[in-house]
Order: sequence, then structure tokens, then C-alpha cells
Amino acid sequence: MRWMLHLGIVLAASLLAGSVLSACVGGNGTKAAASSPPPPPPPVLNTIALTIDGGPAAASGAINHGYVTLKVCAHGSATQCADIDHVLLDTGSWGLRLVGSVLAANKVALTNESDSSNRTIEECVTFGGGQTWGPVALADVTLAGEIATDLPIQVMDDTLAYAPPPSSCGANASLINSVSGFSANGVLGVGVFAQDCGAACVSAPSPMPLYYGCTAGAAGVCTAENVALTAQVTNPVAMFAADNNGIIVDLPALQNANGDATLQGSLIFGLGTQTDNALPANNLTVLGTNAAGDFTANFNGAAGLPAWIDSGADAYDFNDQSIATCASGGFVGYYCPTAAPLPLSAVNSGVGAFNASSTVQFAVNNPNFFVAGAAALAGLAGGGGSTTFVWGMPYFYGRKIYIGIDQRIAGVYTGPYFAY
Amino acid sequence: MLVWSGSVSAHLGSDLSSVQADSIVLHGVVRTTGLVDYDVHEIDAAAGLTVREFVTRGGTVFALSWAGPVPPDLQLLLGNYFGAYAAGLAALKTPGRNRSVRIALADLIVESSGHLRAYSGRAYLPALMPAGVSVADLR
Repeated sequence: MRWMLHLGIVLAASLLAGSVLSACVGGNGTKAAASSPPPPPPPVLNTIALTIDGGPAAASGAINHGYVTLKVCAHGSATQCADIDHVLLDTGSWGLRLVGSVLAANKVALTNESDSSNRTIEECVTFGGGQTWGPVALADVTLAGEIATDLPIQVMDDTLAYAPPPSSCGANASLINSVSGFSANGVLGVGVFAQDCGAACVSAPSPMPLYYGCTAGAAGVCTAENVALTAQVTNPVAMFAADNNGIIVDLPALQNANGDATLQGSLIFGLGTQTDNALPANNLTVLGTNAAGDFTANFNGAAGLPAWIDSGADAYDFNDQSIATCASGGFVGYYCPTAAPLPLSAVNSGVGAFNASSTVQFAVNNPNFFVAGAAALAGLAGGGGSTTFVWGMPYFYGRKIYIGIDQRIAGVYTGPYFAY
Repeated sequence: MLVWSGSVSAHLGSDLSSVQADSIVLHGVVRTTGLVDYDVHEIDAAAGLTVREFVTRGGTVFALSWAGPVPPDLQLLLGNYFGAYAAGLAALKTPGRNRSVRIALADLIVESSGHLRAYSGRAYLPALMPAGVSVADLR
């Protein structure tokens, strides 16, 4: 399919070149134009709208969720396709996960991956306090003009069509497979890695409790197993034919300090591959990450906390027991500083070759002052764990965030890194 | 200081004599370090996960911490406290969305964070913390 499309572009370009040549010959009668190189093919559209709003109708009221619309097709099919809206942009995970009932409602039936014993490959992934569970299936996914063909994605099995999860996955109703789980029809993981697990899931003597081989049907039994890199759930950007070395998340600052109803920005594919995605030559802070995708942050007396920039987190997540937490209302569990905005700072440091350090000033707002119904909220901070520092969605407002994929090169930089 | 090695460990709030379940289920090797006020049992479990269990002189597990490429089975580690943790999660506005959660109940604190390839967290029982032990020590 893509080969044919490519052929079409080349053919069109040749025809265009031919007509230019004719015009030339007709104009001055020389043969000079015959030695001119053919014009380059037109660049692929590499930018897609990124919208912060209240979420899909089935799960409205979302805050600080950035959404894109993508096209998903059964692999190799031109007819079994659908545009899926309200897919959550997540720079803190890798790979696409779509809600099973949403695919079914759009009449897109994907083929699941099977292992060498013909068992269905399923996956359990922990996001915060919950887990996604469901089979790995193959899809052709289009974002703007970019296509990832034969892409392994996770189908979040909200209708329990396949084998149930093992007891360690989704205990006490902690599965977040449905649209309400993420306030989204899916999760688009476009962080610093190509595969969601990587080498650790390929040949471990004791397989990680992440991928499972499951016997068929809704009563199937699952056991953890290793899965080849090419079969793992994969960041679609890494599978694009071009513009596959990273992304830019570009969001404007909010208009209203107490929250905007919606916000419009862009997700741009590729780094330094087109005129619209150049890496700035000056004043760019590049933070290399370790093999887990983390740089480090020093905050509130704690040094070297694993840190990352995460559009899938609705808040800055960190632990500071000196800040009051919201006791009631819609923001229980977030910080409600008594004097707001509360100015804070943290020092980010890169790991490895790109070991820049950067002090970031930020402010925590009291969410009880936010405009009712607003979807984009600056300065929202959560009472996160004391073991990490998460630069969630508020960090993206008014910034361009550059994310380089592992082992992919853009100019003088090699992934994995975050930059701003 | 490495005192001894064995397969003894416990889940939160339980006592040492009753359980070896965690290390067995986690396929772990246990190393124990004796400190002034408490012992730390470190289980190097399968899949690169490390779980530390903090045990009082009286033999009660008062805290846990973990770090690794996959999260631990909290149902196992939290034992009788898992129900309270799950209820606390359900009360959060968007429990699945937050990358990082902190459940603070009167008798139980659970902090859980991370992403694919790197999860970490800790859980502790404030009332059972030995005198002189700081929360910052629970790593």
C-alpha cells in the first residue's frame, strides 16, 4: 500500500518534471534542462493538531489531557479503517493502545499477534495505580501524512473478549481499559523509546510479567513470556518511513491563569528533517536519559530523582509534605497551597553524553480557584510519590518540548533525550 | 552490614515468623542488613525488581520500598492493607491517569510512581515506625 503510494508520488513528480522540461525546450530550444536533477518529492505532512479539551463524550470532564485524532486500519486493508478521536498524547510511554470497544464500534477488527505455540500475545501495563490489559494486534496507523504499517499496538480489552488477566494484573478493579480509564479512546505513547519493553523482554530467563501467551477464548489461561523486539508494542513514530527520529510538542501558554476551556497546539514529527522541525542552534537544553527513559531532578532536598517530561500526567507530580493537599472538592489528592501561586524550582540534569543542567522555576496554583469546566489548567500539581519527579502537562504550556528517540540521530544529538 | 542470607520476608503489618511467601512468590534472594532501630530485608526478585522490607526489632514489617522495570504485586506485598489502598485509589479523581499516586490514609501511606521500564514506590505504616526513624530513610 505504502509502496504504491510512494510509486504514485514518484510518477507524479516525473510527470511534473517532464512538463517543466517541455516548457524549457519550447522556451529556448536548448538541452540544458535535461541534465537538471528531478525536483525532490513534496515533503510529507508532518504536523497534526493537538487539542486540550474535556475529553470524549463518554468520559467528559478531563483536565490537562492533550488529544490527537489518528486513522487506524486493519493491517493491509483500505476499507476497514476509522478515524479515532480523543487519543491521549503520552510522552511518558511507548506505543499505541486503543480501547477495544471503540475499535469494535468503528468496525475495525485487528488481527492479534500469536506466539510460536499459537497462543494470543497479551500485555499488562501499569499506568499510575491502574493497568491496561489486552491482546497485541497489528494495525496500519496514519498520523497526518505519516504512516506506520504493520504496527503492533495494544487493544485494551474492555469487553473481556479475550483471556482474562492473571491475578497480579488488575486486582481489585484497577483495570483502566475502558474510555473512562484514561478519559480517552486510546493512548498514543511517543516517548524516547521505540519499543515499550525493549531487550529486557526478549530473552529473560524468567520472563517479565508484562507480555503473556494466552490460550484462546474468553476463558483462556495466560503465562508470562518473552517477545521479540519486532513483536512488541511500538512507538509509531519510530516506524514512519521518514521523520522518525523524534517529535516536537508545541503548545501555547494559557490565556487565563485560572484555566482555559480548550487549548490548540501541534504535534510535529521528526527533528531536523523538514523546515518546520529544526532543533534550535542556541539555548537548547538537551537532557539525555538513562536506559529507563529518565533524566534526574534535584528537588526539595532530594538529589538525583528519576525525572521525565510527561504529557500523559495531568500535573507536576512530586512529593513535598510542606504543601497542603486539597481536602475536598474535585481535586482531592492534588496540592492546594494556602498562598498561591507558590513559586518552586527544581534542577534537571541530563544523563550520559548530553548532561546539561537546567534550573526550572515553576509555580503551583490552588486548583480550587480554577474556572469551572476548564480543561487546560496551569500550575496543577499532584501529591506524587517521593521516589520520582514528573514534569506533567502544565510544563508543556508555553513551550516547545523536543523528544529524541533512542539511537536515532538528529544533527549532533542521538536519542534518548528530552530537550527544551 | 550483611548479617545473614535466607528466604525470610513478610508483607506489610505482618510478622516475620509467619511468612516466607513474598520471597518465594517473587523468586527472590533475600539479604538482610541490621541497623540500630530496625532490619532491612532486601529481596532481589525476578525480572530485576528489588523489594526492601523494613522490620522492627519486634519483628513487624512497618515499611516497604521497591524499584524495578516492573511494579511489584502490591496485593501480595500490602497484604491486609491492599483493600484500603485499592479503596484510596478508587477515590482519586483520575486514578489511571496520574503517573504517580500517593494514597495517604490515617494508618497507611502508599506512594507509587514510574512508567514502562522503571517503576518505584514505597508503603509504610506511620504508627509502627520505630522512634528515631525518618520517612526519608525508607528507600
